[in-house]
Amino acid sequence: MKVKIKSWNSVAIWKWDVPNEEVCGICRVAFDGCCSTCKTPGDDCPLIWGECSHVFHMHCLLRWLATEGSRGQCPMDRKAWVTAK
Amino acid sequence: MIKIWSIKKDNSSAEKKKPKVSAAQIRVQKDLTELALPETMQMTFPDEHDLLNFNLSITPDEGFYRGGIFRFTFNINNNYPHDPPKVRCIQKIYHPNIDLEGNVCLNILREDWKPVLNLNSVLVGLQYLFLEPNADDPLNKDAAEDLRTNRKNFEYNVKQSMRGKDVKGVYFENVLS
Repeated sequence: MKVKIKSWNSVAIWKWDVPNEEVCGICRVAFDGCCSTCKTPGDDCPLIWGECSHVFHMHCLLRWLATEGSRGQCPMDRKAWVTAK
Repeated sequence: MIKIWSIKKDNSSAEKKKPKVSAAQIRVQKDLTELALPETMQMTFPDEHDLLNFNLSITPDEGFYRGGIFRFTFNINNNYPHDPPKVRCIQKIYHPNIDLEGNVCLNILREDWKPVLNLNSVLVGLQYLFLEPNADDPLNKDAAEDLRTNRKNFEYNVKQSMRGKDVKGVYFENVLS
């Protein structure tokens, strides 16, 4: 039997490399979703990892670090925030 | 085929319109659904459409303040959870960590607030203040001194104040439920 392919569609999925069903501690939205000010997950609303191993939506974390009360510390462990490379 | 890029474009034009529900409201909504209120606490919403402003009453079932009903207001601003909720006691009470204007001295409402905390953490903190008033971090120095030097006397003064009597010349509100 010969098959002639007339057209084909490709499908792909993506997810962040974080444990399943985890949520951002700041906005409490899934990492695979986006922070509460964004509409599209993915590159438009990326995650940020700290050297302390804690992860947040980048927008959530930057907004926290911009507040005076944050004193530049990770919201989880209150150590100075250093973005992991 | 679904055109992903055009969906994205549609969304970004929708994004420009002001969102109806603020990030703070979304987060408070989540906090409220996760809330497990103990029997000693009750929450009321004067305006059912406004989740950011509500009242809380605490009726401690043990400790110095047993038998009283203590009322607080919560005001959450649009920067929540980056700013802590503003919590005030609306009665005049005799407590080492609550001043006569109703300001509450609880570390997580001030210098130790962080956005991974939620309303439940604040409620647990408030509950704890009534079970274990803390003489080391006072807003009402007289009450703190009293607690530190003579627990029995402090207990008596708390009971007096809760009945609406005066303690050292200051009259307090009757908070007995």
